[in-house]
Formats: sequence, structure tokens, C-alpha cells
Amino acid sequence: MDINTLIEVALIIVKVVVVTMILFGLPIPLTWIERKVAGHIQLRLGPYRVGPHGILQPIADTIKLMFKEDIIPDKADKWLFKISPILAMVPAFAVYATIPFGDKITIPVINKEVTLYIADMNVGILYVLAVAGISVYGIILGGWASNSRYAVMGGIRSAAQMISYEIALSFACIGVVMVANSLSLVDIVNAQKGLNWNVIYQPLGFIIFFIAGLAEINRIPFDLPEDEGTLAAGYHVEYSAMRFSFFMLTEYVAMVTISVLSVILFFGGWNAPPFIPDILPPILWFVGKVALFIYLFMWVRFTFPRYRFDQLMAIGWKILLPLSLLNILVTGLFLI
Amino acid sequence: MSILRKLFFVDLLKGLSLTLKYNVSKSITIRYPDEEKWVPYQRFRGLHTLNRDAQGRELCVACELCAKICPTQCITVIPMEDDTGMGIADRVAKVYEINLVRCMFCGFCEDACPTTAIRMGREYELACFSLDCAVAAKEKLLAPKEIPVEFEGGYVVKAKFERSKEGIRVRPDLTRKKRWW
Repeated sequence: MDINTLIEVALIIVKVVVVTMILFGLPIPLTWIERKVAGHIQLRLGPYRVGPHGILQPIADTIKLMFKEDIIPDKADKWLFKISPILAMVPAFAVYATIPFGDKITIPVINKEVTLYIADMNVGILYVLAVAGISVYGIILGGWASNSRYAVMGGIRSAAQMISYEIALSFACIGVVMVANSLSLVDIVNAQKGLNWNVIYQPLGFIIFFIAGLAEINRIPFDLPEDEGTLAAGYHVEYSAMRFSFFMLTEYVAMVTISVLSVILFFGGWNAPPFIPDILPPILWFVGKVALFIYLFMWVRFTFPRYRFDQLMAIGWKILLPLSLLNILVTGLFLI
Repeated sequence: MSILRKLFFVDLLKGLSLTLKYNVSKSITIRYPDEEKWVPYQRFRGLHTLNRDAQGRELCVACELCAKICPTQCITVIPMEDDTGMGIADRVAKVYEINLVRCMFCGFCEDACPTTAIRMGREYELACFSLDCAVAAKEKLLAPKEIPVEFEGGYVVKAKFERSKEGIRVRPDLTRKKRWW
């Protein structure tokens, strides 16, 4: 094995570690931001006591979660109960193996070109959708293993919701794939140079993607698997301490994933709009767009009430699915 | 029309714009006790005060009208003769006690008072750790008040939270006031 191969391998390992660390760290500021947004929307202040403007609150919460007792119900299926938070968490992280954060950059000192993605798979979007779909196993198994009625109801709801909305979500992506002529996420972004953003060509596709994405990541108005009003806390009702925080971590990472995917598929990834002078590096454009989407998710969460489960199913099967099929048809007709 | 409204999410966008407006508007939270404090209006009915006239004589003539009109009978007045000039008349209160646990802050006492000796003040932090402080004696009622009567209320002012052997208190800084909301 020559030295160049070794450097490549080391580079990939470094990238994996960095991405994982960022993803593990990201929910810490996100919980704070979410609570602040919630507070200000409701004319409150949100967390305020720990540190200036409560900025250290998530650290305090993390410490609290780490030192809390990890309760496992007596009648629970112990092995499944222990493993399902990990089952939910790993796919949420594994998605990032193929997500590009930018194109090539050159590290100045050693003058080496580095790509800002771990792998550019030629079936990137397919991989993302497939792996993100696995995440629901953790939720279903967690709900089942808890041996609690609320939890199992949450798991069942989650399963039904995932199946219904995964289809619309994938079909919304197909329109983008048809426009870009590639399944690779890097190619999809490169096809959106200038202002050829897919949101202009695929407005319906974006709306479907956004609504189905909201349902995929279990956020209000589609957070029925953990509906406080009827299911206490849904699938994680029996979980406590770190195992509970793994589920929360999964949810936040999933929210970031959907934001990232929206930006990559519909808002031109790291491409800057052409009329704005080229001063910001592409990675900042990418992060900025993702941040806007994350804010949008929080904003939606504290604006809308929750849908009923039959309404959720009706929206998924009767509206989004036919519309997404129509979207593919119309896109196909335009491309011919 | 209604199908168009649904198609373009008009109602949802209205809701979103409303919450966005709230998100950027000012919060109504008062950061009591360690940063801010609410100073009530002058008409507020808080802890009673016994007042003095311009020469520093007690206005109370111990006529016991307040004790008689009090619906909860929480005021105890015992009069005494006095010719040292501590009151405006020869008759002053030897004992003047208000049982704050029983008082319902209706303000009848200040209505009944012929000399405007008793007034409802603006102090509202009446919680304490023992029942000693539940009875406000004459000295406490006569003591000068932190918020002057002339100070127009209805403000949130900057405040400092102080902890000492005597207990805790919130000291307002009346120079730094702002209208609340």
C-alpha cells in the first residue's frame, strides 16, 4: 500500500469523525434555539437563567440526563429495549455518509484538494431515503419493547405514518432526479448552478417534499407518534436518561437531515444566487440555507396544531401521493 | 375562492406571519426578582401605611373607625391620651395592629379614615417564613416607604435582589423605569 492510499484512508476517517462529532454536538445548540424560538413566539423569554440568555441551559440538561437513573420497566423486553435507541440513532447518522456539504476545497498549507463529502455515491439520494427509512425500526421496536400501551400505540402510528409519507417523499425526489438526470447528490447540486434552483422548476415537488418531510421527522403538525395530548409521550414514554436523549438526538439529526436535503434537492445546495457578489465561501451559503430551513421547522412547530390521525392518513394517501405522481408525469412531459 | 385559499395555503401563511410577528416583538416577561420589578399604580391597594403630617406628627387620632368598618375585623386600635405632641390631637394610638393574614385589602379603612392617616400603600411582597410578620405593628406601618407617594406607578423598573440575615428583598431602582408592554 503506497503512501497516497494511506492518506486517502486517513482523510476519510478524519471526515467521518468530524461529521459525527458535529452531528453529536448539533442538538446542543438546537435545543436551546428551539426553546428560545418557542419562547419568543409565545411572548416569553425562553431559557434565561443558566449563562447569558440561558445559553448554557442545554449543557445543564445534558449533565442532568447523564446522571439520571436509567429506568427499564420490569416487564419490558430488556434486550430490545436497550438496543432500540441505538437502532434509531445509527441510521440517522449513517445518512450523512453521502451528503455533500460543498464541493472541493484546497487546504492552503499542504496544498491538498479535499472534497467536502465522505462519499459521492452514484445512487446517493436512494441511499439517503433507504437508510433514513430504517430509522423507524428503532421507534417501532422501542415502542413494542416498552410493554406499555402508549408506547406501542406510538410505534404503530409511527410505522403507518412512515410508510404513507415515505412514498410521497421519494416520489417528490424523483422529479428532481429527472431534472438533474442523476441520483448522485453532488450532480444534483451541480445541475442547479446559477439560479437554476429546482424549487423554480419543481414548486409542487418542493411542497410535497416539505410536508412529507415534516411527517417523516415526526414534527408538529404531524408528530402523532409522540402526541402528548393522547399518548403521553408516545413511543419513548418509558425511556429515561440517556436512552431517551438518544431518541431526542435522532429527532434533531433527522430535522437537520430534512433541512439539508431540502437545500440540496431544491435550493441549489452550496450555489450562491448569481446576482449576489461572490464573497462568501460556498460552505457558508450551504450552512445559511440549512439554518433557515431549521428555523422554518421550528416556526411551523410553534404555529400549527396537531392533525388527527385519520386526517394525517387522508393527506398522505389522498392528496400527497396523487399529487406527487402528477408531478412526475408533468415533469416527464416537460422534459421530452 | 375557498379552493384557491386551500391551494395557496392562505390560512396557514396567515398563521405563520402572525407567529413571526410575535417572534420579533418584545417579550412580556418581567424578569422579577433579580433584574426587574413591577411598581404598581398610585391607586394600588397593597400594605397599609400610617402617615404623618408635614410637621412629622402622626395623623392618626385613634378614632377606631377603621377598626369598626373593617369587614374582617383585622385592625386593632387601642387609644391613649398624649400631650407631648406626637399626634395632631391629644389622642393617639397606643397600639395599632393590622393582621395581614386576615386583611383582604378592600380599602374600606382608608375610606373611613377622617384624617387620611391610614392609606393603602404599594408594597406587595408580604410573604415571610414565620407568622411574626403576619401582624403589622404601628412602627412598621409608620416607617417611611421605599416608593414615594408622588412616584407615578405602572412601570417596570430595574431592581436588585438582596439576600441578608434579615431576609430577602427586591430593591427597585426608580430612576430606570420603562412602560410595561
